[in-house]
Amino acid sequence: MSSTLIKCFNLAKTVGTVTFKSLLTTSQNQLPAWRPAVVGGVLKCGLHTTQCARQERKEPLMEFFDNPKHWSENEVKVGRAWKLDELRIKSNKDLHQLWYILLKERNMLYTMEHECNDKMEIFPNPERIDKVKISMENLETVVRERNKAYHLLETGETGERPQKLVHNAFGLRCTYRSCEHVLPPFMNTKWIKSRHLGFGGRAVHKFLLQYREKLYNAKRKAKNRSRNEVMMILRRNPNFDLELLKRKFPDVEIDKLRHSDKARGHFVPKVDG
Amino acid sequence: MRITQYLTSKLKNFSNLPKEYIERSKKQVYWKTPREINYLPRTVERKRFRYTTNRSWTGQFRQQNMPATMRKKVFVEPVEDWSFFRGDRIEVLVGKDKGKQGLITQVIPERNWVIVEGINWHYRRVGADKEFPGITIKSEAPLHVTKDIRLADPSDLQGTEFEWRFTEEGEKVRVSLRSGRIIPIPETNNQTHDYKTPNAYIEREKDTPAAVVSEITFQPKLSTFEMDIMEEMDIKEERTPAKSYWY
Repeated sequence: MSSTLIKCFNLAKTVGTVTFKSLLTTSQNQLPAWRPAVVGGVLKCGLHTTQCARQERKEPLMEFFDNPKHWSENEVKVGRAWKLDELRIKSNKDLHQLWYILLKERNMLYTMEHECNDKMEIFPNPERIDKVKISMENLETVVRERNKAYHLLETGETGERPQKLVHNAFGLRCTYRSCEHVLPPFMNTKWIKSRHLGFGGRAVHKFLLQYREKLYNAKRKAKNRSRNEVMMILRRNPNFDLELLKRKFPDVEIDKLRHSDKARGHFVPKVDG
Repeated sequence: MRITQYLTSKLKNFSNLPKEYIERSKKQVYWKTPREINYLPRTVERKRFRYTTNRSWTGQFRQQNMPATMRKKVFVEPVEDWSFFRGDRIEVLVGKDKGKQGLITQVIPERNWVIVEGINWHYRRVGADKEFPGITIKSEAPLHVTKDIRLADPSDLQGTEFEWRFTEEGEKVRVSLRSGRIIPIPETNNQTHDYKTPNAYIEREKDTPAAVVSEITFQPKLSTFEMDIMEEMDIKEERTPAKSYWY
């Protein structure tokens, strides 16, 4: 399975000029009736891989840099990131191409950011990095969804890498992500030795005791903090809506606090006459 | 529908920046544990920021929250539903402009503040030097949403109290308590730094056209993503993988 995947990705590098660009430019002249704010981070540059770039350009390394006309600009505007729902209606081929477009764009942005920092210049619109990142995360989610659906239908399992909650050597709960092995577990003595760590010792017991105390203290402090917050709000706004406060701070006993000394503000008494 | 409306604020982000960027840009990590087996993932970073009229992704914000500086905590009272939007006509209840009306130009929900055009302003001198006296500019100070202002009723342009209610269609609207009229959320609220209305957005070089985005190319098929791509590229895999164990 993994070998086919690697092969697939290696071959992806050699995809020809069948790009999103061709797909994009066709509909560029006919302006759509509705235009969302956005669209796309960064789709239009087409899928130039290093190989085909070499054919087109003399300096393939310049693919890592932005278009020179953007270099001196203070603002490079782009749309928003791809949303999940927009990616769900795209075919696998489109997603595959879009992934490499986004990957190239991300490489370009990181290079430009590094170069701008190096040359003491402003990197315009650094939020582009986040937009590409969001798009890539969403794309990965969609691909996962599709694969999961296939595996659930065919095998009844998700097909994801198995993982489970286990106690580690310190007695803390952590997720153990399974690995692929050639040997079955009972034959794999090295693995058995590495996994079967007891945590019943005195040192671990002491550590756990103190670790839990630390967690408890963090919880206690958070509770005190919200209690103080409520008192200070009441002190500054004596007529504050108590129902709203109760909803915002559910674990604080507000009725009790209302009459506490700290929650009472300092007010100059009104003198008639 | 009601639940989603209830949960999401109607306030639009003028900067149109992704949340991730806003969080990332204000981050001040002082120390982070190395990614080693003997470390638990822990970071020491700034947790409390002083929010002012300077937005959190700007250099001024960073200057006001320089690393290793602490400022006194500001207690911001919680607000149930944010009810003041850009473009709203409001009446001022306090200060030298008491009784005046104006339009909201900027909203700062971190502090429960709004900035109103031509209201509550003062002169500010900038760029003063030994030889140069500086330039005087007019700048508006923020107003507090719960204490300093109230909405103007669109029917008679007088200040009024209001309430959030639901219409027959299930839409959440502000209703003036005096006249019972709906106070609509102004269109200005939807404007962003990048466009005035979504329709008026100018597509840039790197944007995908809307028609391409909305095009449906997905065909349901009984195959995984990888299988589909391999088929498309004519990759044939004849080898059978060796037996392996997942544990």
